[in-house]
Amino acid sequence: MATLEIKNLHVEIEDEERKTKREILKGVNLVMKTGEIHAIMGPNGTGKSTLSQTIMGQKNYHVTQGDILLNDESILDMPVDQRARKGLFLAMQYPAEIPGVTNAEFLRSAINARRSEDNQISVMDFLKELDKNLEILDMSQSMTERYLNEGFSGGEKKRNEILQLLMIKPNFALLDEIDSGLDIDALKVVSKGVNSMRGSDFGALIITHYQRLLNYIKPDVVHVMMGGRIVKTGAADLAVKLENEGYAGLRDELGLDINLVDED
Amino acid sequence: MTPDKLVQIATENNEPRWFIEKRIRALKIMSELELPKMQRFDYHTWSMTPETTKISIMDHDHSENYVLLDIFEAARRYPELMQKYYMNKVIKSNENKLTAYHTAFLNQGLFLFIPKNTVVDKPIEINLQQDSNIFNSHILIVAEENTQVSFIQKSTTEVEQQSSANCIVEIVAKANSIVKYAAVDELGSNVTSYLSRRAFVDQNAYVDWSIGLMNSGNTVADFDTDLYGEGSHSEIKVVDITTGKQQEGVNTRVTNYGKHSIGNINQRGVIMDRSKLIFNGIGHIIHGASGANAEQQNRVLMMSNHAHGDANPILLIDENDVLAGHAASVGQVDQKQLYYLMSRGIDKKTAQRLVIRGFLGDVLTSIPSKKIREQLIQTIERKLADGQKLSENS
Repeated sequence: MATLEIKNLHVEIEDEERKTKREILKGVNLVMKTGEIHAIMGPNGTGKSTLSQTIMGQKNYHVTQGDILLNDESILDMPVDQRARKGLFLAMQYPAEIPGVTNAEFLRSAINARRSEDNQISVMDFLKELDKNLEILDMSQSMTERYLNEGFSGGEKKRNEILQLLMIKPNFALLDEIDSGLDIDALKVVSKGVNSMRGSDFGALIITHYQRLLNYIKPDVVHVMMGGRIVKTGAADLAVKLENEGYAGLRDELGLDINLVDED
Repeated sequence: MTPDKLVQIATENNEPRWFIEKRIRALKIMSELELPKMQRFDYHTWSMTPETTKISIMDHDHSENYVLLDIFEAARRYPELMQKYYMNKVIKSNENKLTAYHTAFLNQGLFLFIPKNTVVDKPIEINLQQDSNIFNSHILIVAEENTQVSFIQKSTTEVEQQSSANCIVEIVAKANSIVKYAAVDELGSNVTSYLSRRAFVDQNAYVDWSIGLMNSGNTVADFDTDLYGEGSHSEIKVVDITTGKQQEGVNTRVTNYGKHSIGNINQRGVIMDRSKLIFNGIGHIIHGASGANAEQQNRVLMMSNHAHGDANPILLIDENDVLAGHAASVGQVDQKQLYYLMSRGIDKKTAQRLVIRGFLGDVLTSIPSKKIREQLIQTIERKLADGQKLSENS
């Protein structure tokens, strides 16, 4: 069993144009284990994406206090590729496009990056695994010969993120708004992919605005984030309650003094 | 060197009288001539004209379809063809200091002649090995009417001392011929080189250039195509990587003389570490070349803050009824792309190489031969890996 622990995490982001720093995360605490699916919900601008990018190691986010522990080892000093090889995966909201590198070639490189020189995946094993996962995600084989994300539609990009998840098989996946821009059919397919990963070796942290996604991927734990902190943690029914009452309702119930970005 | 000494060396090499006289004439005018012009690139302090004392004879395959000979043997056996074409029609020996130097001090070369109506099925592969400290090599290709040939040239350095190279390629592509010339240049870091390649393209002929400029030493390159014939066509693809403290200036030029002639230049350069690379793309459309088409793309990618690079499109158009266009860019590696690849566990160096390969991609995919494409990709990977090592140690 693997664990991912966020301890009193404070994160600043630098605004390059204005040369100012702004604190986004103001003391986040979270513990998750493989075998569990956690969801983080919260209004816009509350730091959900900052949390996922910071865990992954994006350089623009500066940790000023606190720690991130993977299996009791701090990963703060590790570069992003090392964190990935240690078992973290971030399905991104806006994946980069890489022309000239085929999807298949990239997937093999990513899988082999986790393996030793003398234990690289064979072409047969790779193709078998690829075919299986393409079928789960209802993707055509031609997608794998296209250049990585180049010219992919929004929905294709999301599916491709999940294809990578299925091929790489990380211990912990951070899924950053994988439901945005998806129609209901695509949402079902993407959820099917994530659900196929469920098991004792896999944990996921799902970031979403809407409860809708959680109808398809049932979380074990739901966290609500507001103003750079987790303000409430509960079971799956917390998401339903939020859907009905809105974030402002919860804020007022908790007596928090937080200005919601989208609130007039 | 005195003319007498040069006569002695050439005579010992059994060169015909006309060939020796051509050397001597070139030697005499050399000092009066200027170096070839290279915009935004200064190389006048480079040592590029040392004197030859050793001549090498080249091995080659034989064929019944065509003539492939060591250039000195060709001068003896085919004096008429050689006098007509060698440093006389495509590139002239008195053009500049380096062409005159080349003619005077030539020390190895090949002559390829494809007779009329001949299709050469298999590519002709030639390895040019620099085995002495001076390397003045020449390749002359004459493709007669209605011929097809594909030529693959590699060049490597086998010596370790500081040295120089002056390598010239001349192609005569007569009416309705198709000549594909691929080059993978890998001269060593100890070599200062001048590369000049030029094609004369006649009516409805096609010349395809696929050049992987992977030298490790300072290099000046002139890649020229003269589209003389009506409906003549050339595609010029150049992929270039500079590493360490290397300096390179590349002029890639197409001149449209013929009506409806088409010339496309597509160049990509990757500049690592403290190296410098200047790409000049020159498109010249001569008055009267109506319906001509000249397009060019020059792009360089800087891999370090100390790298220096430029991509200059230069269009000279003296005719109204033409299509011409250019695109140029100087960019840095996209950090978002790197982050994305690394977030999947791919280490930084591999991620960089993948991004670079993507940048070179559309030139690589346009190379017609799969074999050359794959060889070039391997060479690129090697050069990038070497370049990354150099950066680490500096």
